[in-house]
Amino acid sequence: MIELPLFIDLGDAAVHTLNGIFRGSILFMIASGLTIIFGVLGVLNLAHGEFYGIGAFLLTSIATFFVVRIAAPTDPLSTAIFAAAIVIAVLLSAAILIPIAGAIEATVIRPIYDRAEMYQLLLTYALLLILVDTIRIIWGSQPVRPAAVDGQQIHAALDVIPMEELFGFQYSSVRIFTIFIGIGTFLFLLWFFDRTKTGRIIRATAIDREAATAIGVSSDRVFTLVFALGGFFAGFSGALYSVSAIPATAEMGGTALVLSFVVIVIGGLGSIRGSFVGAILVGVVWSWAIAEYPPAEIAAPFALMILVLLVRPEGLYGAWGEIE
Amino acid sequence: MSNEDQSEEKETIRLMKGLHLTKPQLALALVGLVVVLLVPEIEGFFDNLQLDTFHNGILWGMAALGLALLLNKTELVSFGHAAFFGGGAYGGAMLVNFVGVDSGLLILFAAVFFSTAMAFAIGWFVADYVAIYFALLTLAFGQLLYAIAIGSPTLGQDEGLRLRSGGEASGDPPSLFGIEFTLQQQGEYRLVLYYFTILLLIASMIVMYRIMKSPFGSALEAIGQNRTRARFIGIPVERYVWGAFTISGFYGGIAGGLYGLRQLSIGPEGTLYVFVSGEILFMAILGGFQTIIGPIIGGIVLTFLLDNVRFLTEHFELIIGILLLLVVFVLPKGIWGSSEDIKNGLMTRVKNPAQLGADVGTLQKMLINAVRNAITTIKIILFGVK
Amino acid sequence: MLEARELIKEFGDLRATDDVSLTFGKEDGEMTFIVGPNGAGKTTLINLLTGLLEPDEGSVIIHEKSENGTTERDITDMDPEQRVKTGLVRSFQVVHVFEEMTVRENIRTASLSNHGLTRSFWSLSDEHEEVENDVDELIEQFRLEDVAGDVAETLPHGDRKLLDVAMSFALDPRYLLLDEPTSGVGAREKEYVIETVVEASKSQNVTTVTIEHDMDIVREYADRMVALVRGEVFREGDPSLLDTDDELRRTLLGVTPDE
Repeated sequence: MIELPLFIDLGDAAVHTLNGIFRGSILFMIASGLTIIFGVLGVLNLAHGEFYGIGAFLLTSIATFFVVRIAAPTDPLSTAIFAAAIVIAVLLSAAILIPIAGAIEATVIRPIYDRAEMYQLLLTYALLLILVDTIRIIWGSQPVRPAAVDGQQIHAALDVIPMEELFGFQYSSVRIFTIFIGIGTFLFLLWFFDRTKTGRIIRATAIDREAATAIGVSSDRVFTLVFALGGFFAGFSGALYSVSAIPATAEMGGTALVLSFVVIVIGGLGSIRGSFVGAILVGVVWSWAIAEYPPAEIAAPFALMILVLLVRPEGLYGAWGEIE
Repeated sequence: MSNEDQSEEKETIRLMKGLHLTKPQLALALVGLVVVLLVPEIEGFFDNLQLDTFHNGILWGMAALGLALLLNKTELVSFGHAAFFGGGAYGGAMLVNFVGVDSGLLILFAAVFFSTAMAFAIGWFVADYVAIYFALLTLAFGQLLYAIAIGSPTLGQDEGLRLRSGGEASGDPPSLFGIEFTLQQQGEYRLVLYYFTILLLIASMIVMYRIMKSPFGSALEAIGQNRTRARFIGIPVERYVWGAFTISGFYGGIAGGLYGLRQLSIGPEGTLYVFVSGEILFMAILGGFQTIIGPIIGGIVLTFLLDNVRFLTEHFELIIGILLLLVVFVLPKGIWGSSEDIKNGLMTRVKNPAQLGADVGTLQKMLINAVRNAITTIKIILFGVK
Repeated sequence: MLEARELIKEFGDLRATDDVSLTFGKEDGEMTFIVGPNGAGKTTLINLLTGLLEPDEGSVIIHEKSENGTTERDITDMDPEQRVKTGLVRSFQVVHVFEEMTVRENIRTASLSNHGLTRSFWSLSDEHEEVENDVDELIEQFRLEDVAGDVAETLPHGDRKLLDVAMSFALDPRYLLLDEPTSGVGAREKEYVIETVVEASKSQNVTTVTIEHDMDIVREYADRMVALVRGEVFREGDPSLLDTDDELRRTLLGVTPDE
């Protein structure tokens, strides 16, 4: 039986919404990469979710490496050291994806830019299958978490914000940080594409490949850079997700990929603003569905997508095809 | 059309209006048909040839054939065709579970109706979109159906539904053509279903052939090649794409309905998941989506591989992925679509074995270049441009 | 008779057509040429007439002769494909053909559409006699016999232009709007292309509206000339204006008369 509560506890509501924004931040970091890669390279990378998965698994290994070597946080100093180690682990996990993504672009994706979409899709789909199995070969088929610290999960060891005292409900500090990182990434990307030289070169290349080549931009290099950048952010979000004590699974990439599509369709393909708004919307709807009516967990984001499509077929920030 | 020229040069036999075959082609077709009909008889002689695999391969191939209409003519990539395969399977299963019907034909009818209706509804949404957006949206809609199936307790969530009487694990299979089957007669049931499948396969291939050669097919081809021009010769583009999409879903429905009848138990993972859509697309391209037989061959080959590689190694997805890469780079026209090239290539190598050595050399060069390329790129990214 | 009534279309701050009112084909078979500098709104006008663009204001009207005088039919809200069915047909400045089809298949597809056969999914594309006859005729009329079996993308540019126009003729046009039918065609082929097009129009008594930059062609073939400048109708009348109206000459050709 479906039991909808008549009224929802305010603390619960805040937790659901924060969870939604947390998930939205994670999704944004995946979807923005996907949308930028599409905007510049013209290829929809079906293997993008796997970068996120690899990031999550890398973190479990690297964090475990640190956890067993560093003293458990007991006082402010050891907590700071521990937190710094985790930050390094997250950055390292994401950084490892730069050469991985770059190598993939240079070897197999570069030769197919001029091919029909179906081959591009098929190729990235092949990459997806290969990467999923590579993950299984390295980390096994079972869910993996970073090693525990003193019998508790990493994120619990890092609960430094006294939420209970401040707001009257419990919430993970790591997730709060992740939300801020998500917002930070959003602002960074806006600034990067609007104000920096590299960002402008990338946009110029996206709009007119030939003209960019004519003024001396190596489109090969721009493409590899963009692809690696996308891989970095996807890996980054995977690592952050993993820190929040959610076990990494070989299937997580597929789920993230499909939800990123929903985000992109809602936001408008190519729009960074759209990705952000879409991701937060999807995240919140998703979290509320999980909390209030679990069977709709997977369907709720899609329902939202269809709703948006009916009202605005080109997405909320319909910039389809151009980075904005 | 290229067939016109050939028909003037070579002597052909007219099977039906618009379907002419040369003598060798006809002979090949007949041999193929006999082999297909004999599969149940000879499966015992070969370890790797199971009727189950072959039957399922044909069914996936039929779904891929429906997809090939979109790929070949409108040049649209649907990445959500599992929606119609799974929709068909679930459509039939729902009739069994919620209405209690046990007639196989009625179940199949419900399957086709349900998935066609689904394609009609989704088609309305996606017909305006082109290229990657079309792929993206069809994928998302496919996942929506998966989400509904796996989330709904009525539809059995990840367990799925059974098509046996009463929805019980020990229930009898549905009746076919008025023949009742008990649990012990499942072998006979599957045999009857197999021959029925062959009949429907031949019919659906002929229908697809005619559609592709018809004025409607020409109009779809026009849409695929230049939408604006198609509109300005008076073709109502969106409505025709919508129509083609619905036909495509109809094919998925027949295939999925028969699949449900065959498996007698279906789940979301095996019929609706996004990877299933990917597999259907792969089958169409692997076999050759520009032909009628190609998608069927693609279906049989991939199903065979999936079923057998799974037993050889845990990591069959890796193998399939590598195979896919090879298809994209080496065999873009698919097995059947490149049969001439393959034949010629083999002949040269039989005549001139030294060619093989050259092949290895070329392959080596390609690999070395790719690796060198990758290393340079990574250097550039990590250490900047020197 | 095809009428543009007070058409306004803006792109951002730019008025591409500014209150344009024109009628074409007061007599059937009239050949109007539209001239004007780049950015004058010529192509926008054709796009508005054929439904590729929607006007911000104004309307597109077809006047049909019937037994009791003429009736007006407002087609402003019609889709392009519906307008084609009323006999309003166009070609494009950049060749729009079905690149992977042969010449014959291209024309056949247009003709199938004209005969209302594209909904048939059980007949064969090449078995309709009335269509095949039309296709044969058009191939001959546009002198495409030698390349009839060639794939469109492999054709020389002049033949591609002719194929584009031939497809338009397969639709039995009453009003044919041609956007620079000779653009990009070499000097030698130009005459040949325009002559073929004019011949076909005359033989079927089609009212044509043609955008053209080559003033020699306008002088030779136009029944009537319209000059657009900055989205407005600047001159309208006999093509001899091109030689007599100094202001027009200045605007169009950058020629300053002796002072």
